[in-house]
Amino acid sequence: MFFFISFLAQGLAQEFSSNQECKRCHSNPNLKKILPDGKVTSQYVDLDLFYRSVHKKQACVYCHIDGTLSPHKNLQKVNCQRCHFKGNLAGAPSLDRYKEYSESVHGRAIALGNIKAPICQDCHGSHYIFDKSDTLSRTNQEHIPQTCGTCHINIYNVYKVSVHGEALMKKHILVAPSCVDCHGEHDIREHTDPKSTVFLTKVSATCSRCHANKELIKEFNILAEPVETYKESFHGVAIKFGAKTVANCASCHESHAIFKSTDPRSSVYVDNIPRTCGKCHPGASQNFAKGKIHINPAKKEAGIVYYISRFFKYLTLSVMLALVLYIILDLRKKLKVRRTGEE
Amino acid sequence: MEEKIMVERFTRSQRVQHFLLLVSFIILIITGLALKFHNSWFGKLIITLEGGVIARGIFHRFAAILLIFVAFYHFFYIIFTRYGHEELLLTFPKFKDFKDAFQSVKFTLGLSTEHPRLDKYAPQHKFQYWAVVAGSFLMIITGLILWYQTQAMLVLPKWVIDITRVVHSYQGVIIAVVILLWHLYIVHLNPKRFPMSRIWIDGKISLEELKVEHPLEYERKYQGLDNEKK
Repeated sequence: MFFFISFLAQGLAQEFSSNQECKRCHSNPNLKKILPDGKVTSQYVDLDLFYRSVHKKQACVYCHIDGTLSPHKNLQKVNCQRCHFKGNLAGAPSLDRYKEYSESVHGRAIALGNIKAPICQDCHGSHYIFDKSDTLSRTNQEHIPQTCGTCHINIYNVYKVSVHGEALMKKHILVAPSCVDCHGEHDIREHTDPKSTVFLTKVSATCSRCHANKELIKEFNILAEPVETYKESFHGVAIKFGAKTVANCASCHESHAIFKSTDPRSSVYVDNIPRTCGKCHPGASQNFAKGKIHINPAKKEAGIVYYISRFFKYLTLSVMLALVLYIILDLRKKLKVRRTGEE
Repeated sequence: MEEKIMVERFTRSQRVQHFLLLVSFIILIITGLALKFHNSWFGKLIITLEGGVIARGIFHRFAAILLIFVAFYHFFYIIFTRYGHEELLLTFPKFKDFKDAFQSVKFTLGLSTEHPRLDKYAPQHKFQYWAVVAGSFLMIITGLILWYQTQAMLVLPKWVIDITRVVHSYQGVIIAVVILLWHLYIVHLNPKRFPMSRIWIDGKISLEELKVEHPLEYERKYQGLDNEKK
């Protein structure tokens, strides 16, 4: 009897580890479950897809630890940290940045009991987790906006038509920023958190990662001037020294609804400039749009400002030179007079 | 040693004006240069010492108000007070100033052994005075435009503001250079005056020095005075 049970158990274990037992029901595309609130969810698992995922070698019950009893209902949510922790023997990758999640806006919301906040599988998927280089992956660069957009639907709609959204999702330019390029991946924080990559003093650094990147500038004809000139502007200097009431990139260009300045939808389109500047400078007139915004007095494109700046530069230098010469000559004469005692 | 006879060169009102001007200039120059050279250690240090970039702006504006006050005070002083007006007339450039300046250059270069015979204000004094007047005027105007930028831009397009900023920035440097190299040299480092001429405090100059440096003024005012003493 004991022998029989242990044989059965062995057989069952084999069945489970090869997912045979689970397949019996869950390979049926019509397998559904009615939730307490009346919603119907599919309980079907596409094993072809699953065997392409990063967890293809794992058995169902490795994650669904309470799934060994059959039939079962209301399995617990899978806890990814069962394997993904530092020093695990299963060889599951465990990087420091996974820990960043617990301090992120999402992790803290979960800790505070917000059941709507995302856990690992909300972004990475559950059965179909692929390497992010795989185009099927929910964390593939091109799919990230949709993944985040599952919850952040309004922002997704704005982003989708923006210059960045179109570049990434329509033109398939993979270096174009998705959500995570600005907000971070696991360590996403509220924009009001000083540690956030989109905190008002950090925005320009975040945008500069691409907009001051020489290779990207070359490849996509990105203007390099705005970053440089912003740093030298009153706004840029004030931000650098910690002022919190001055404009960063997003104050004028918007955070998600970013368009080319020639696009009438853009906040920096010539007709929209008074309104955009007016957010901080009440009563800003159309005159704010008369002249280049990102102006570098040291470059010829600045026009008259360049020539005036040149003129003053040489004037300053010649005044300095003349005065130094004057001092040298005058000193020489006065010391000579003093030495010889004669006028 | 025989006691020197001291005569007044600058009145108390003039000394007060000079003092207020120098206080405002020093604050304006330090806070202004800190902003212009914000990338250098100097700028970073000053901005930090001042308690941040916003506080820097407040210091700059306070000093600017002081400068504007002195400018107005001085304007009324030279227009409406008798002595102030007399002084103003003495600072107007005359043809003689060009000759004097030329003579001065020749003397300094050793081409001539003769000093120009000067009145109360030498050509370089007049030039410096008018440079300060013009410079302050320009700085006050451009500064006010930048201060009340939004209001100014109801009338002025942005490119004029850009020019204003360039002019304010460079003009400030030029003023700083002129004061550091020229004015401070004349009154401090000049071997005749080192370490400092006390004239800005007590306003007094010895009759002896006056006779050498400003013979025409001496002849006008004090001709018989030291003879009587003798």
